[in-house]
Amino acid sequence: MISLETMGKIWNSYSSFYWKGLGNTLWLSVVAVVLGVILGLIVASGRMLTIKKDENIILQLLKYAAKFIAVAYVEVLRATPLLVQVMVIYFGATSAGLKFEDSTATRMFWCLIAVALNSGAYLSEVIRSGINAVPSGQMEAARCVGMNHWQAMQYVILPQAVRNILPALCNEFVTIIKETSVLSMVGTAELMFQAQTVASATYIFVEPYIIAAIMYFVIVFTLSKLISAFERRLSRSVTR
Amino acid sequence: MSQDKKEVIIQVKNLKKQFKHIEVLKGIDIEIRKGEVVAVIGPSGSGKSTFLRCLNLLEQPTSGQIIFEGSDLTDKRTNINQLRQKMGMVFQSFNLFANMTVLKNLTIGPMKIKGMKQPEAEKLALSLLQRVGLGDRGDAYPIQMSGGQQQRVAIARALAMQPDVMLFDEPTSALDPEMVSEVLDVMKQLAAEHMTMVVVTHEMGFAREVADRVIFIDQGVIQEEGTPEEFFGNPKNQRLKDFLSKVL
Repeated sequence: MISLETMGKIWNSYSSFYWKGLGNTLWLSVVAVVLGVILGLIVASGRMLTIKKDENIILQLLKYAAKFIAVAYVEVLRATPLLVQVMVIYFGATSAGLKFEDSTATRMFWCLIAVALNSGAYLSEVIRSGINAVPSGQMEAARCVGMNHWQAMQYVILPQAVRNILPALCNEFVTIIKETSVLSMVGTAELMFQAQTVASATYIFVEPYIIAAIMYFVIVFTLSKLISAFERRLSRSVTR
Repeated sequence: MSQDKKEVIIQVKNLKKQFKHIEVLKGIDIEIRKGEVVAVIGPSGSGKSTFLRCLNLLEQPTSGQIIFEGSDLTDKRTNINQLRQKMGMVFQSFNLFANMTVLKNLTIGPMKIKGMKQPEAEKLALSLLQRVGLGDRGDAYPIQMSGGQQQRVAIARALAMQPDVMLFDEPTSALDPEMVSEVLDVMKQLAAEHMTMVVVTHEMGFAREVADRVIFIDQGVIQEEGTPEEFFGNPKNQRLKDFLSKVL
């Protein structure tokens, strides 16, 4: 039986645990998505390199290599579970001696790297499709005004691509908030791990998790609603 | 003929363009002189748009030469970005920058490419918008305008770079019939001001009335060229005769 009374008691004694967990969940998610965007931009540009037959052969080979790495990265990271990636990266890095003095900092750092790598793979595809969705005539027109490729990107293509990308980017953030729960498996003190700690301290195994579920739900549900409101505003805006 | 005395601004020599296994242009030779209005007509798929898009290297020619104001565009060392500033282009689908207001569409080139100061660029933009009859629409976004208005803005945007040549790729083909004339009027006005223009078009009336020379491209080659009078009045090429009998 689930008892509200038990939940109340747990909350009264352990609320600081939950808040700390939620705090860690949120900052890990924010930083991971920010890193993911940067990574995604780099990977997307790698995938979108155009290789011209009349270029220097070394340059062509380098471009092929960059393209291959970008594609391989995206495919591998999207086709394996986040939990496995976290395990491989965390234990791989620490067994190779890549750690800080403080074991909590080490855990946080490698978890962050793992989640950022994972979300970078997804975001690179979001960014790539956002850029490809801008009609090709926009690039042609920009080039005809005399802009070079990068000026055209900066002034014409990317501002329009951002509109396509933003909603999906926000959704990725929401997904990451939920997915960071797997970090509990290596002992990172995010929300799910804190719930586990409370459960093992109290020998109560349902209510502590329900509290965590409620906290996840409130955050994710609110954010999702905000995002869809924001999306409606974007689609209503005059330039689209 | 007075045209022959004017300086050649674009010279095309044996231009060929191949897409995969299809040879779209099979050797085009033409000279375009300063102040001349050249209309390019032909059936769809004949290569006339590809020809135009080769002139400013939106399509990379497979072989041949395009010499614009003394520079060979097909030479790798030529700075194409610089030369494109002198060749305005107007597209069938307008292609106004969707993320900018009309005014910004006109000022972005002069400001970012030519380094013109904002007040100066805006003054120029406004005078061009007035010229195409849209002096009061600077704050609008492209999507808020009709096709005809967008196309007039597109012409003004190209003019804002103060080009030496204007290339038009079927500028009225995507327009509702009642909007065609407002765009053609702007083009006629440009022709009257002696702008050098190359116009790919299906508007035979425009070609006949405004062009100094009409070119018929079919099957990747220029089948016939001449003044509008001889071209429409006394066509010699059999393909051109067939084409004209269908469209006129």
